Amino acid sequence: MAVEAKPLYSSKATEHQETNAEELRKEHLMLDPMPRDEMNQMVMNAMHTTTKKYWVFLIGFGLAVVVLLFGAWGYMIANGMGVAGIRRPVFWGIFIVTFVFWIGISHAGTFVSAILRVFKAEFRRPFTRAAELMTTFGLAAGALYPLIHLGRVWVFYWMIPYPNARWLWPNFRSPLVWDFLAITTYLLSSTIYLFLPLMPDLAMARDRTTGWRHAIYKVLSLGWRGTEAEWLRLRKAIGIFAFAIIPVMFSVHTIVSWDFAVTMVVGWQSTIFGPYFIIGAILSGVSAVVTILYIIRSTMKNFDYFIRPEHFDGLGKLILIFSMAWAYFFFNEYILSWYGGEEALKQLLTLHATGPSAWVWYLMLICNVAIPWLFLWNKKIRRTPWIMFIITLLVNVGMFAERYTIIPLTLGHQRNPFDWGIYNPTIVEISIVLGTLCLFIFLYLLASRLIPLVPVWEVQEGQMSHTFRKVGKTEIPSVTELE
Amino acid sequence: MEKNIRMVLFKEDQIDQASEAIETLHHQGISEKDISIISGVPFSEKILGRPAAWTNIPIFGIAGALVGLVIASLFNFLTPHLYKMTVGGMPLTPIPTSIVVTFELTMLGLLISILLGVIIEMISPSSGPKGYHPKISDGYIGILFTCPAATDEKTCLELQDMGAEIVDPAEVKQP
Repeated sequence: MAVEAKPLYSSKATEHQETNAEELRKEHLMLDPMPRDEMNQMVMNAMHTTTKKYWVFLIGFGLAVVVLLFGAWGYMIANGMGVAGIRRPVFWGIFIVTFVFWIGISHAGTFVSAILRVFKAEFRRPFTRAAELMTTFGLAAGALYPLIHLGRVWVFYWMIPYPNARWLWPNFRSPLVWDFLAITTYLLSSTIYLFLPLMPDLAMARDRTTGWRHAIYKVLSLGWRGTEAEWLRLRKAIGIFAFAIIPVMFSVHTIVSWDFAVTMVVGWQSTIFGPYFIIGAILSGVSAVVTILYIIRSTMKNFDYFIRPEHFDGLGKLILIFSMAWAYFFFNEYILSWYGGEEALKQLLTLHATGPSAWVWYLMLICNVAIPWLFLWNKKIRRTPWIMFIITLLVNVGMFAERYTIIPLTLGHQRNPFDWGIYNPTIVEISIVLGTLCLFIFLYLLASRLIPLVPVWEVQEGQMSHTFRKVGKTEIPSVTELE
Repeated sequence: MEKNIRMVLFKEDQIDQASEAIETLHHQGISEKDISIISGVPFSEKILGRPAAWTNIPIFGIAGALVGLVIASLFNFLTPHLYKMTVGGMPLTPIPTSIVVTFELTMLGLLISILLGVIIEMISPSSGPKGYHPKISDGYIGILFTCPAATDEKTCLELQDMGAEIVDPAEVKQP
């Protein structure tokens, strides 16, 4: 057998080191520093560049919001809830499905920004704001649904902690009031969490703009100069927020799941609904971040510098882990219900898998389990943005199907066979659902030109703390803590 | 004695020189309270050899959380007594279901008060020389200091030798 002997050290070693460092720079944003003024300029250029196509999309989505959301909702208010498809036995239809979907999406910002910040995952830096924006706008879209679903929207204030003429207060033991409080808390706290790290970037925008933009940035940046005291204050505030918002995030989707789990409905009364919903929310939220990052990277100027394949790779791994965790919870829930052998539950599970709407159940499993497991183990796929875009879009289709299975498909098949029914959403309901999607896109499009989508100071801080350190014969990246 | 406010800038990669410059100002008898550092990224006080700064943000947070807790307790335990609706076999003020409202309102109080704390501290008068330069958000490290008018030129030149860029006093802005 021929053995090829290679020298342990070649004259090409130095050259190899340089190539290695060069490759690492190309790969990792944190190892590829750029002067701050150039980065600022890139982000500002991206904000100021509005093509004709952008305005067409913005106006198009704006009109869609008016027609699909407010038009259809107004029609429903004028004509009553009868124009929706919800009727006995299914009183929670696509409005509640979409409500849960948007609340789920909103978990992305907190997860990506707060949890990855707490664990000092450096790759998070360039896209935390994009994710935080998703949280705020996702919640804004989701928070409309309790009002829409209410029907008589003009009495929504009955939910607000406010007594009536007899000093009768809302019942704080009701999960619907918990929902109201949890969503309000999460919406306010995630908006503040979006705002705090934005201050230094708003000051940067203030220094580079004139006219109305300058006036707005000046007010919003609260006179930010970047003094030691200001940075300390910001660090402390972000630090407390990053820890405090995590349990709030967990509480929101747990409480949403309790809307279902505290009832006597077959298929809903489960003690693991809280964590099951949270895992699903994080799976759909992180997937939605990837979808948005792909769109931002492809449509906004200079964003290919900030958003790189390494970010899709990192998020892809998280999606794979959460897909596995989701499958674990799903199976746990499924097998115990099936093993229990309760007749109504057994029939419900059979209906999900073999009934006329079984395709929704299979769609859920294919999109949430089969697709991520089949593709996301592959590094090459995780690093290909357009494939990740398709996969993450499908994951969210799967998560929508999951909520559809849990809500109307379950409600339509309860204990009494005489009360079984099939729910079909009407055009009014579908319009409203599409309308909130358009609202989300419209708000995001608008924000992309009003606030810096990349936290430039955080990127620079990360780049300053990353260096190459020589270990043995090669140079490896190392991180220093500047704070 | 007449005093002037002066500002010098160091590039983002000149953090060592900036900390040396602060040391030089100390040697020249300029006290800590007469020096302000402004930068485009956060640096810990230790890096620049500055005394530990202080913020009341955690106190605001705790105060807000307590306010939230009190409000939640009033909602949970006082409101049912204002118009009693007794249901057989059920307590008027159950504890397990009250935990949810207590948690949410305590966290809401905590998080809102942190924002209020940031705003209050931002708009409150601060110590040290005031001033700003747009180059700070380009990553520069600015050292603002108050020194006797008679020696300010000499001090600036000394800092210039260390790599600092001297900012014309007329260019020092108030944000």
